[in-house]
Amino acid sequence: MSTTADLERLAEDLAAEARPDRAGTGVSPHRTALRRLRSDPVAVVSGAVVLVLVLLGLLAPLVTSLWGIHATVGHPDAPRPSEVLLFDGYPAVGPPYEPFTWQHPLGLAPRTGVDNLATLLYGLRTSLGVAVVATVLTTLVGVGVGLVAGFVGGRTDRVVSFVIDLFLSFPFLLGALALAPIVVSRFSTDPDGLALAQVVALVAVLVTFGWMGLARLIRGQVLSLREREFVQAAVVMGLSTRHILLKELLPNLVAPIVVAVSLSVPAFVAAEAGLSYLGIGLTGVPSLGQTINQAVDSFERYPLYLWAPVLTVMVLVLALNLLGDAVRDAFDPRTRR
Amino acid sequence: MTGARRGRGLLAASMVAALVLSACGGGGDGDRRDAAPDGIDRSGLGAAGSAKDPDREGPVEIDGAREGGTVRVLSADGLNSMDPSEAYFLNTLSILGGLVTRSLTQYTYDEETGDMVLVPDLATDLGTSNADYTEWTFTIRGGVKWENGREVTAEDVRYGILRSFDRSTFPGGAAYSNDYFLDGDKYKGPYRSGTGYAGVVVDGNRLTLKMERPFPDLPYWAAFPAMGPVPAGEDAPETYLRHPWATGPYMFDDYVPEKSLTLVRNPHWDPATDPARTQYPDRYEFAFQVPATQVDQVLLNDQGDGERTLTYDDVLAENFRTFQDEHPDRLELGPQPCTTYWAPDYRKVTDKRVRQALAYAYPYRDAALAAGQIENVTRVWGENLMPPGIPGRTEYSLLDTAPGETDPAAARRLLEEVDAVGYEIRWLFRGDDPLDVATKDVVVRALRDVGFTPRPVATTVADYSTERRDPDSEVNLRAAGWCSDWPSGGSWIPPVLESSDLDEEGLGSNYAAFSEPDVDRRIREVVMLPTEQQPAAWNDLGRHVAETYFPLFVIGYGGVAHAHGSKVMGHRVDGTLGMPTYKTIWLDD
Repeated sequence: MSTTADLERLAEDLAAEARPDRAGTGVSPHRTALRRLRSDPVAVVSGAVVLVLVLLGLLAPLVTSLWGIHATVGHPDAPRPSEVLLFDGYPAVGPPYEPFTWQHPLGLAPRTGVDNLATLLYGLRTSLGVAVVATVLTTLVGVGVGLVAGFVGGRTDRVVSFVIDLFLSFPFLLGALALAPIVVSRFSTDPDGLALAQVVALVAVLVTFGWMGLARLIRGQVLSLREREFVQAAVVMGLSTRHILLKELLPNLVAPIVVAVSLSVPAFVAAEAGLSYLGIGLTGVPSLGQTINQAVDSFERYPLYLWAPVLTVMVLVLALNLLGDAVRDAFDPRTRR
Repeated sequence: MTGARRGRGLLAASMVAALVLSACGGGGDGDRRDAAPDGIDRSGLGAAGSAKDPDREGPVEIDGAREGGTVRVLSADGLNSMDPSEAYFLNTLSILGGLVTRSLTQYTYDEETGDMVLVPDLATDLGTSNADYTEWTFTIRGGVKWENGREVTAEDVRYGILRSFDRSTFPGGAAYSNDYFLDGDKYKGPYRSGTGYAGVVVDGNRLTLKMERPFPDLPYWAAFPAMGPVPAGEDAPETYLRHPWATGPYMFDDYVPEKSLTLVRNPHWDPATDPARTQYPDRYEFAFQVPATQVDQVLLNDQGDGERTLTYDDVLAENFRTFQDEHPDRLELGPQPCTTYWAPDYRKVTDKRVRQALAYAYPYRDAALAAGQIENVTRVWGENLMPPGIPGRTEYSLLDTAPGETDPAAARRLLEEVDAVGYEIRWLFRGDDPLDVATKDVVVRALRDVGFTPRPVATTVADYSTERRDPDSEVNLRAAGWCSDWPSGGSWIPPVLESSDLDEEGLGSNYAAFSEPDVDRRIREVVMLPTEQQPAAWNDLGRHVAETYFPLFVIGYGGVAHAHGSKVMGHRVDGTLGMPTYKTIWLDD
C-alpha cells in the first residue's frame, strides 16, 4: 500500500519539478493550480460574477419576498393584471411608458403583469439548476465510461468507442425536437407533472448528448496512464480493478475533469436557454430562454423586457466560460504566463 | 350555427366604430388606462346586418376607385377546404363568397351605417316563401357565366345545393340543408343518393326549395357558398377543392393548399349581373401561415409590397397602440358576431345564486389581458347573450355591476347566503396553449378569492372541443364561444338554450346542458311568428331566460382589428364574419 502512495508522490513531485513554477515545489499540483487561479484577475472577476449570480439564483425566494415581487400571477399577493396593466397589456407602472420605479426595477411582463426581476431570478435558478445537474450527471457518466473503456481495453474498449461515436453522430437538436412534443402530449393533462417532466426530459436530453466528449478525453488519459509504473505496480500487486480505477487513476484525472466541468456548465446554460427559446425546453417553470421568446413580440415598444434576460444569459455564460478558461490554464502545466 | 366549427382560431369579437377609435388614439400623458378605446356608440348597432335590400341591382361602381395592381393578403392561419360545399371557416367563407363563387344571395357593405346588407346575388331577389316558411322560390338571373364562358343555369345551382347535403364527403361544412330541408336527414347528396331529390325543384329559371320545418332565415343561409352553383360532372370532391369554378370576379390561378393562393380576373364575370361585387385589382395573392409578428412588421413598415398588403388577422395587442397612434387610417376595427361565455352545467350547478356568484367573481379584465385581448376592441363587455349587431337586441343588465366589472364581495355574499363556500368548480383548459394557461391562472385566483374551490382540468388544444362536448365528463362548467352564421336571434337562442337529447346527440351547442320545457315551447312559438316580429321576440326570450334561470353569463363579445397598407382602399370589416369586405377593395396606385 505504502509503495503505491510513495510512487504516487514521486510522480507528483516529478511533475511539479517539470514545471517552470519553481515556487510550487513540494506543493500538490491542485494547490498550485488554485494559487495560479487566485492570482489571475480574469478568474477572480469572473468567479465573483458567477458567485453573485449563483447566490441570486439560490436566494431567489428570499430576494423576491423581501422585495415584495412575485414570479407567478397566481400568487395571492401578486398584483392582478388589470391593476398594473394598460388596456393593451403593457404595464401601467415602470417601463416602457412610465418612469423607473424601485418597486419593479426591471418592469412588469406584458399581458400577465408578473414582475420581470422575479422571473429573472427564478429563471436564473432554473438555468443554473439544470446546468449543474446536467453537468454532474454527464461527468459521472463520462468519467465512468472513459475509465472503464480505457483501463479494460480490448473488445470492451472497441464497443464503448463505437457507442460513443454512435451518440456523437446523432443530431442533438433533432433528439430534443422529437422528445418535446412526446413529453407534452404524455403529460398534457397534468400541468404540475408536465413542469417536472419537462425539467427531467431537458436534463435527460442534455446528458444523453453531452457525456461523449468527456468519456473520450478520460479514455485517452487512462490509456496513457495505464502504462505508467505506479499503475503497473498496482496491477502486479493484485489490487482490485475498482481500487486501481478509483484510487490510482481517478486522482490523476482531476485536472481534465475540472476543466471539462467548468466549460460544460456555461454550455448547458446556453443550451437550456436556447431550447426553451425554441419552445422545446421548459414552459411550466420560469426560464430565461422562455422569457426571451415571449419578449420578442414586444421588443419594439418594450426593449428592456428582452434585454434583461438576454444580457443575463450573456453575462452568465461569458463569466462561466472565462472562469472555465482560467481553470484550464491553471491546471495545465504547459501554459506559461 | 356552430361556433367552434367556424375556426375559433380566427376569431375574437366586437362592435366598434372605427372613427370613434381613431379619435381616441394618442391617449395623452394622463392615466393611460383611460386610453383604452371606449365611447362606442352602441345605439345604431341593433340594426347592423339586419338590413335587407331585395331590389339591389348591379353594376357597382365605387367613386374614385382605380383599376389594376396586386393586393397581397397575409395571415398566420392556414386555409381549410375551399370547396364551396364545405367552406365553413371565416376565411374560406369570406374569400370564396367575396371574390370567387356566387350564391343565391349575398351581403354588401353599407358605407353609411357600416352594416352589411343582404342583397340578391344569382337570384333576382331574396326569395319568396309561403306563409309558414316551408317553401321558398328563387328566380335565377340570366347572363351569369362560369370562368370558361358557359352559362350558369338553375340546374347548376340545384346541383350545388344537392352537394350541401353530403355530410360524409364534406364533414366540415354547415348542416343547415340537412337540418331544415325536406328529408334533409335522409338525402345524402348526389354522390350517394343520386340527383333525384324532391326538395329542390327547377322549373325553367325558377328554383323551388322545400323545407321539412319552417325556415324563415333561409335567405341568410342562401348567402353561403354552399348555396351556389357547382358544375355537375366537373366536381370530383378530391380535385374540385383545388380549383372551384369561379362565377365571381376572380378565379383561381395558383393554389398551394394551406400555403398560398393567387386569384386573377375572371374575364367572364359581368358586373351588370352582380349587385355587390367589384373587380378593381388585377390579382389577389394570399400567403398563409406567415408568423403573426412578421405580418405586423410588414404592415407597420408599409414599404414596397407592404403598401398593397392587408391582413384579416387581428394585430397583436403588443402592436395595437403603434397602429392606433401612428397609423389610425390603416387600422380597421369592426365587429365579429361572437360571444364568449361561461356555461355552468345546469344539471350540476343547480342553484341560480351560485351561477350568479360565478358571474360576479369572474375576473373579466384580468382574463382579457392574460388572453391578449384588447378591451373594447377584441373584447367588448355586455350581458345579453346575443352580441351587438343582432336585430332586435337590446342592452340589459342582469347583475348589479356594470358589464366587465368583477365584484368579489357580492360573489362571496351570495355564496355565504346559500352556504356554498368552498363550492368546487371544474372546467377544462388547454395545457399546451400558453394564453389559455395564463387565463386559467387568473381565473383560479379570482374564484379562490371569493370562496370557490377552483379545479381546472387540463386537456390539449387537439382534444379540447371533443372533451367539452362530452355531456358525462367530470367538469361542472364549460367555457364556450358562439358565433352566429347570420344576424338573427334564431342563430342564437335555439342553438344555445334549446334542450338537446343528451343521450342521442350529446350537448350539441347547448354547453350549459340547459333544459326547461317552458323555454323549449317558447322557442317553437317564436319560430312560427311573422319574420318582422321575430327579432324582438328572440331578444325578449333571451332576456326572460337570463332573468328567470341565469343559465350562463357572458364574458364578452368579439371584435377585430385588421391592418392594411397605405395604398389599400375600401378595406372595411364585414360584420357578419369579422373579415375584410373584399367586394369594396381597390388599390390607390
